Amino acid sequence: MEIFQHFALLLIGGALVNNILLTRFIGLCPFFGVSSSMETSFGMAGAVVFVMTLASSATWVFYNVLLEPLGVGEFLYIPAFILVIAALVQFVEMYLKKASPGLYRSLGIFLPLITTNCAVLATATEAVKPGFFKMNMAYGFGFGEALVYTVGVALGFGFALMSFAALRDRLEVAPVPNAMKGTPMAFVTAGLLSLGYIGLGSWFGL
Amino acid sequence: MSEWFSVFKRGLSVDNPLTVLMIGLCATLAVSTKFEGAFFMGLAVIFVLTMSAILVSFLRHVVPEKVRIPVFIVIIASFVTIVDLMMKAFLPTVYDFLGVWIPLIVVNCIILGRAEAFSYHKPVKLAIADGLGMGIGFSAVIVVLASIRELLGSGQIVFLGTKIIGFPAWYKGPNIVLLFPGAFIIFGFMVAGAMALNRRMSARQVQTSQRCTIEEGGGS
Repeated sequence: MEIFQHFALLLIGGALVNNILLTRFIGLCPFFGVSSSMETSFGMAGAVVFVMTLASSATWVFYNVLLEPLGVGEFLYIPAFILVIAALVQFVEMYLKKASPGLYRSLGIFLPLITTNCAVLATATEAVKPGFFKMNMAYGFGFGEALVYTVGVALGFGFALMSFAALRDRLEVAPVPNAMKGTPMAFVTAGLLSLGYIGLGSWFGL
Repeated sequence: MSEWFSVFKRGLSVDNPLTVLMIGLCATLAVSTKFEGAFFMGLAVIFVLTMSAILVSFLRHVVPEKVRIPVFIVIIASFVTIVDLMMKAFLPTVYDFLGVWIPLIVVNCIILGRAEAFSYHKPVKLAIADGLGMGIGFSAVIVVLASIRELLGSGQIVFLGTKIIGFPAWYKGPNIVLLFPGAFIIFGFMVAGAMALNRRMSARQVQTSQRCTIEEGGGS
């Protein structure tokens, strides 16, 4: 039971309380870039859940099997992780193109974008390097914990992205002052949304 | 030389990475709670951007087009590692504050975007101009945002342990300015301001160019 609680807290903590977009500002480029329509943000969310889970598992294994025993993890993790992620995304893209063209068509254009999305690199680093982010959670994740945490973060990313896309849809027709039209208003809206997420943090007492 | 300056100036005004192109937002909003952190973040970005622009532009005939993205990433990652280790050694307090944002410069869209869109096609001299211009444009916005937030939020600006400017002691800053929503909202107003400024400048340019064509037309 205790272990179940631990994993549930990791999942909720990653998804809502420490939402990667709205309370930590990681991965904001797609947040403002693709959120202008519901359809693209759904595609992006799907692609992020998919790639982030794979990338974190791959980098976790890579770090603990190769970098850490060799003693080079401290200064080689940045180039190593980004290369692992880039290679992984490339393989996934080629595999999807061959194996399931339908999924490839819906996720395809977002996959290359994700390579340079800081959310993927940040989550991979966070799942691997203990104490990397200063948060009130225990670190030194095992593989299962890293996986659950990553899935939580990815789901939180998707949820925030899609709720913001829905808000922006409504904003299109709202009477906004001329000077604030477009991106400035989107930023203010994101600020209000992020207020809500901060409220969640105190609600869970974390 | 005038071409050099016009490229340099674009990064500051009409192509400003933050207020116009909207790239590299994550780091900006996250580290802008403190003037000091924003200042050194700006310096780090200027360094990485300029050095990688020089190297990418220098190697542009050597690197085949198919593998350019991995090559760019390796170049950028090496410079980021230099900054990461240097800052850890010489400015430990700033490094603690910036934390994850230093390694995340690797995936900052500004740097890869400029390597891809500009330095890979242009000579070294112009690449330097672009790197410096974009870097300084980025730093200017992030430093202004951080000064507003630190001044309003905590009532004073502290730089490397010395107080530069501050409100009187009775001032109690609203906490929200230092929290995440404040960053979004203040940045939204800054973008609105920058857009208004750019619109005004382009309107004036259109006016002068119209006047020029009218005068030219009258002359001929």
